[in-house]
Amino acid sequence: MIDEIALVKELQNIKTKEKAFRVLITQYKERLYWHIRKIVISHDDADDVLQNTFIKVFRGIDNFKHDSKLYSWLYRIATNESITFINKRARERNIDISELKQKLVTNLQSDAWFSGNDIQIILQEAVARLPKKQQLIFNMKYFDHLKYQEISEILGTSVGGLKASYFQAVKKIENYIKKNHN
Amino acid sequence: MKRFINHNKDWELSEDIKTGFQVPENYFKDIENHFSLKLIEDKFPEHNGFETPKAYFESLNDVIIDKTKKGKLIHFKRKKIKLISVAASIVLLLFFGSNFIYNTNTELSSEEIISWLDINANSLSNDDIALALTELNINDINPYLAIKNEDIVESLLNSNDLDYLIEDINTK
Repeated sequence: MIDEIALVKELQNIKTKEKAFRVLITQYKERLYWHIRKIVISHDDADDVLQNTFIKVFRGIDNFKHDSKLYSWLYRIATNESITFINKRARERNIDISELKQKLVTNLQSDAWFSGNDIQIILQEAVARLPKKQQLIFNMKYFDHLKYQEISEILGTSVGGLKASYFQAVKKIENYIKKNHN
Repeated sequence: MKRFINHNKDWELSEDIKTGFQVPENYFKDIENHFSLKLIEDKFPEHNGFETPKAYFESLNDVIIDKTKKGKLIHFKRKKIKLISVAASIVLLLFFGSNFIYNTNTELSSEEIISWLDINANSLSNDDIALALTELNINDINPYLAIKNEDIVESLLNSNDLDYLIEDINTK
């Protein structure tokens, strides 16, 4: 377990910044990648968004003031980058975000970096139909196994609100799977 | 003795002795929901089926460090924005224009321009630019649009998007 405060100190020191940044990337690249991937769906897009996330972290670390935990700050940047990307892609195609998400999920069947079976595709379809915030909450809780308190720090939503949203998301997904899976 | 009222039953406590144990607020309601969620979740697949290319994460550190040294953000590979170089110029002009209009004393450093582009360039669409243009009175900004070509070239040269613009122009 890395000492977060010491790492930030090193990241904010020009002499130790690059070395510390390598430690930061090593520590968080996979978690952030999978978080981003579940939002943007394709590997190529997740790769771009992840790199942009780290570049923004590199540039913005001097302004990090410890008023939140490092991991929640990183997740917030990754989440914002992913949502900005999705919004932009939807605008470019002149469709709304939920339609775009559904198209991305439909494309999964021909995606070289997806090996899911029918039920996994149906689960992704169900998630894509949720409101944006419920999608985030479901992914963070179900797939990333984050605690409600951690999600609360990242999304700035109360734990009670998160529990209610997660419950609703799970119920909607259950209904969708029941209707669409034999 | 009040504590043990019925010696026929083992260690039965009187009603006024409490255990002192407490549970969080809404605990029993929450645990009920938790179990019901768990039962539903058990029917969902555990994994999502997403994969990455082999050794993707191994090479990622160097790729990102290189990018931070070059100091540019990735322009999304499949993004198909037509006339991006023109749009970037309009953004620069808007930036110059609006700052000159609202604060004629503002001196813009290249850092400010880079920072502004960093924050805004990825989230601006052609629609945004068109909307911004219609919101600005062109006649008001015309005097300030008369920026010398050298100023724009210098701004672009200082901008971290230069490599991308050259690449973009070359691919057209």
